[in-house]
Amino acid sequence: MRVILKTRPRAKPKIPIEAETIIPQNFLRKNDIRVYEGNKERKLEDLFYVTTEGPAVSPDQVEVILTGDTGVIKRVGEYMNAGRIIVEGDIGMHCGNFMSAGEIIIRGNADSWLGREMRGGVIRCEGDAGHYCAAGYRGEKRGMRGGMVEVLGNAGDFAAEYLSGGEVHIHGNCADLPGVEMRGGTLTIGGDCLRPCGNMTGGTCRIFGTAHQFLPTFRRNGSEVAEYGGKRYRMAVYRGDIANRGKGTVLIRE
Amino acid sequence: MKVEDVVCPFCGCLCDDLVVEVENNRVTSVENGCTLANEKLMEDHRLKNPIRRERGSWKDVSYDAAIQETAEILLDADRPLLYGWSGTHGEAQSVGVHLAELLGAVIDNTSTVCHGPSILAIQEVGHPGCTLGQVKNRADVIVYWGANPIDAHPRHMSRYTTYADGFFVKDAFKERKVIVIDVRKTESSAVANEFVKVDQGGDYAVLSALRAIVRGKGDLIPVKVAGVTREQLFRVADICKNAKFGAIFFGLGLTMSPGKNKNIRNAIELTEELNRHTKFTISPMRGHWNVYGSNEVFTWISGYPYAVDFARGIAFYNPGETTSVDILRRGECDACLVVASDPGAHFPRACAEHLARIPTVQIDPHVNATTHLATLQIPVAVTGIDAEGTAYRMDGVPIRTRKLYEGTYPSDLEILGKIYARVKEAKGS
Repeated sequence: MRVILKTRPRAKPKIPIEAETIIPQNFLRKNDIRVYEGNKERKLEDLFYVTTEGPAVSPDQVEVILTGDTGVIKRVGEYMNAGRIIVEGDIGMHCGNFMSAGEIIIRGNADSWLGREMRGGVIRCEGDAGHYCAAGYRGEKRGMRGGMVEVLGNAGDFAAEYLSGGEVHIHGNCADLPGVEMRGGTLTIGGDCLRPCGNMTGGTCRIFGTAHQFLPTFRRNGSEVAEYGGKRYRMAVYRGDIANRGKGTVLIRE
Repeated sequence: MKVEDVVCPFCGCLCDDLVVEVENNRVTSVENGCTLANEKLMEDHRLKNPIRRERGSWKDVSYDAAIQETAEILLDADRPLLYGWSGTHGEAQSVGVHLAELLGAVIDNTSTVCHGPSILAIQEVGHPGCTLGQVKNRADVIVYWGANPIDAHPRHMSRYTTYADGFFVKDAFKERKVIVIDVRKTESSAVANEFVKVDQGGDYAVLSALRAIVRGKGDLIPVKVAGVTREQLFRVADICKNAKFGAIFFGLGLTMSPGKNKNIRNAIELTEELNRHTKFTISPMRGHWNVYGSNEVFTWISGYPYAVDFARGIAFYNPGETTSVDILRRGECDACLVVASDPGAHFPRACAEHLARIPTVQIDPHVNATTHLATLQIPVAVTGIDAEGTAYRMDGVPIRTRKLYEGTYPSDLEILGKIYARVKEAKGS
């Protein structure tokens, strides 16, 4: 089954739409799907032109396609556990929150908290990601715990904060403090970053660009070779963050 | 008439030892106050009555009409924002939170541009803090990090730290060591025993280095960290470890520089590390008068201290998303009520521009920068001068303020109460 959701023109287009109900399993059941526009609850059909093609007997067979002015739609794919969502443009905050399985593909940019506290599945963002990509909720001790987040562009501040499991791959640059408070999982940064892995206690971070203002509380622990993009690179290995009794590993291209 | 033990209505110190003279419903003199207190208490530039912007000029309107129009603006909005609250008392703040819940609005206070990051850090790792009385009576080492109390909290040093003799610190000026850590020399650094000059944005690295040194892992610290020499870092760590009781106070130099809440978390974890050697505490230098109170009031009603979004009927909190600067910058809100603060003066230009585009109502005694963005302004009494109520000092101690005289202006509580009643009636709830 393919469900196409095209945004309708709105009088106040900057008011965010909260749409955690846009997940494949809800379209299988043909529920009366509701979303919020600001403080008003709306029917899905009030804000989207909805087209459904073909049948499905399980959520795995449902593909949701979002088009139009999608950059202000928040929480798409929250708690998703099967199927696929394709966003043809940008997507708002909290896309793929807590998702445990399935796939989200974003053709444009993703706003902050992409894949927040994700448990499983795959998110692929072909543009840039905002702040707190694959991070945790405020006050939460564990961020992303499983699955894969891949960003082909750059990521904002605090990418993979509290990363506890799974894999985060930023092909471009990261802004300030990627991998801060990281305690597990793998973070790969293809480009440059600033102050990576502050206060980390576990996990592995690989940086193939330049790590600017690298913190003084990491201890050099030899070198090793890593493969990235089909090439082999010699990497400096550091252990830390010593300020936090950390046992994490940071590899930085030499 | 002379009034004693008056509470200052300006900064987070809430100095409660002022003596003021009142004549003909005006404060004519202030004793014990700093320059900021004198200016606040003796000012005489209040807006006389509510005003509404009509075709580019201001027209006088009645209080009743202004209240009705405010209620209608808020009821019409799909994403109203209620911002400010730090200059008023807890009772008015409480009505504000209930109003936000009724409207499905976002309510936020000035923490969003001051110590919001401190709150985020405290929510992550806790707060080893204490009252200012403890500091005054016990602390022999004081650290000011990213703060300039002589300018921003002029009596902090004389009432609680550098110059204040305490029960266990008989001759404070000689017995207390003061460390100032900042990116530039300030008036406060001039009176410090040790001034640590950090490169811009280098606080996180310096805090991490100090943590490592205090933990006995100083061997890996390089010759310089963010402009601070290894020798000075070790010296500062030694002073702190050898203190009988130490107190760190931090300001916006730490909360609003790169790293933000992670700087504060690092500072709290340094404090925890120091507590393995001696007694150490850490406290934010809250600036706006009752901003601590707004955090308290918001929390006891909604569960969250600032940036609370009631759009879905339940409280949702996510600074960066539900904070007023972010909401305004993204152009999300379609109406704004500003109470007891001046976002026009403090917010980024894009936010001010959006405030000017949407219906903005300001409840404030004075004409200020936000007036020039607003469509409607309602003048009120000033809490602590001609209105009474409860405010919280920067260390979380609630203090009751009194009226110095019976004025003619309604209080924030009265105006907000009437707006709430109109909204409730319209909602039929």
